Amino acid sequence: MSKNHTVKIGYGKVEKVPISKKNPLVFIGGPCAIESREHTFVMADKISKICDKLKIKWIFKSCYNKDSRSSEKSFNGIGIDKGLKILSEVRDNFGVPVVSDFSDPSWAKQTGEICDLVQVPAYLCRQTSILKAAANTGRPVLLKKGQFMSPWNMKNSVKKLEEFGCRQIILTDRGTFMGYNMLVNDMTCFPIMGETGYPVCFDATHSVQLPTSMGNISGGQREFIPSLVRAAVGCGVEALFMEVHDNPKKALSDPNTVLDIKYLNSILIQAITIHEVKKTLYTKFGEDNIHKDDEK
Amino acid sequence: MTKNKDIMLTLNQFPVVQYDIIFKETLEEMSKFNLGIACLVDKENNLKGVITDGDIRRKILNIQKPFSAFFVDDAIVHAVKEPICSNPETNINETLKIMNTNQIWDLPVINNKKLVGLVHLHPALNKLINKI
Repeated sequence: MSKNHTVKIGYGKVEKVPISKKNPLVFIGGPCAIESREHTFVMADKISKICDKLKIKWIFKSCYNKDSRSSEKSFNGIGIDKGLKILSEVRDNFGVPVVSDFSDPSWAKQTGEICDLVQVPAYLCRQTSILKAAANTGRPVLLKKGQFMSPWNMKNSVKKLEEFGCRQIILTDRGTFMGYNMLVNDMTCFPIMGETGYPVCFDATHSVQLPTSMGNISGGQREFIPSLVRAAVGCGVEALFMEVHDNPKKALSDPNTVLDIKYLNSILIQAITIHEVKKTLYTKFGEDNIHKDDEK
Repeated sequence: MTKNKDIMLTLNQFPVVQYDIIFKETLEEMSKFNLGIACLVDKENNLKGVITDGDIRRKILNIQKPFSAFFVDDAIVHAVKEPICSNPETNINETLKIMNTNQIWDLPVINNKKLVGLVHLHPALNKLINKI
């Protein structure tokens, strides 16, 4: 129906990261929130070393304002000016593209001036003002599927972005509400969202979240991260998103879902391997074109 | 001899929709005319396909996904993409023969691939009877 778009991430002197069906799997990750300059650099350095060794292209993710915390008492970020300055320094020092989300249309321009990729938060994925602001940055957009959205209804958000001139979109699943305080992953969301022609991404760490299950904070079942990663990559995604931390218990945001960075290497190896195997199988047996002739 | 152009419905008399609007909007447009058909065109008015009540009936029986997913599909996904067509200068005897052979009562009329009208059996017959 639609052509397969290649989303090209990275401007200026950073490593260029293409995301499409033809390219190797890309990793998008970092600590959920920018906690301090020092911690951000420590994390970027650790991830950089792992990704360099595995030869996987990656994008550093961290946010300057966490606007949808369960409690007003929770840490909500370092602030836009300070945060973007740190992200800019990460770009310069590590030569890696960076991504941050923005929860208010008025933050978009500034975010797009620094970030190579701008993220639309899941809760806001159908807000026209947010989508318009994201498109107006001129940067590629990482569009999260709302936990309340069906994968097919994400086409509406994609159409809005296109209407505002954006043709560089990555659709991301971070789980779907099943009743209260519980998310599930429907793996068919990847081929369904892929029908838009844009690459799809799996957010493994937010998928294991139990939203606000701890009263004033979200819980999480991160023991399921490896299983879900294998399933999603096998199903077919072009990028893998995971928030990582060197001390999850002390993480200032999402302490119950962030992946301990000590596990990142082994999970990425599994993901890359499955991604490559899938490519080989496609070459051998053709793509998922079964039952196309069924009467419908 | 009466020709298609003498008896066909013209563009504002039957549902004509852009091929990439969502399926639900196509159904709404079809309901405004009660002809049981919509013609799908691109921006240059080239005919891309047709959707009929019969197609929708078969879809409902065969499609295995929720209505909400069905509704948001591009209209063209559920269209007959190479419908039998006719042109404005074809005479009515020939048109009726095509309709009879294929058991259809709608024939989109195209001129150089561009949609110009629709021969729908009942209004066509009405026009013919009134002529006689």
